[in-house]
Amino acid sequence: MAAAGDGERLLLTQRLKAAVHYTVGCLCQEVEEDKDIGFSKQSIAAISEITFRQCETFARDLEMFARHAKRSTINTEDVKLLARRSSSLLKYITQKSDELASSNLEQKEKKKKKSSAAKGERTPGEKEAAVTENEDSNMS
Amino acid sequence: MEERDGRAGGFRKVRRSREGGSVPGGGVRACSSLPLSAQDTVDRLLRLHFRDGRTRVNGDAQLLMAEMLNVFVREAAARAARQAQTEDLEKVDIEHLEKVLPQLLLDF
Repeated sequence: MAAAGDGERLLLTQRLKAAVHYTVGCLCQEVEEDKDIGFSKQSIAAISEITFRQCETFARDLEMFARHAKRSTINTEDVKLLARRSSSLLKYITQKSDELASSNLEQKEKKKKKSSAAKGERTPGEKEAAVTENEDSNMS
Repeated sequence: MEERDGRAGGFRKVRRSREGGSVPGGGVRACSSLPLSAQDTVDRLLRLHFRDGRTRVNGDAQLLMAEMLNVFVREAAARAARQAQTEDLEKVDIEHLEKVLPQLLLDF
């Protein structure tokens, strides 16, 4: 059974590496156009390998941060902590995080308005439908 | 790049919407029919390395991590490109990446 589990993990790893490699290729292409320079295939492959490995470090750190805060779900504060080493990176990530938070807030307010307007028009028997509207996915 | 095997999900919708502008006919690319979605990819990438099976990643944190990884890749590429340009070369090779790697890792 262990071998089957390992085989699955290997397959997943390969798929993820391929996904990373594809994205890295796309991003490098953008940099190529920006800077009017070319990337060798080996360098692109190297960047995707480095990125994949860096994910491991990120993942372990994030897990530790969450655990330190006695949580089992990693949230945006943990990601911000991850970006602490470079002040410009931290600033950028904090900015993105604030943007996300404010757009979440907007969405919530929209939902509230919709469901309260809908509730006003509905008969009590149909309240269950309104309740399911408020189910949040894994957002915050 | 468009003919690539359809397994890749990419990191983030932002990247895709930027590219969507350059694709004739624009709109959603074939990627939407892939088993791995953009956000899913990041989530699985991280979950692969968690030590505890119960650890999860919040939706917003996933988006932020995708952004983080984008920045990481761009930094690596840009720094290597700058290194190659300093050496008056037109192609970025592994040796340029090797030269910028230590500082890159220290900054991240």
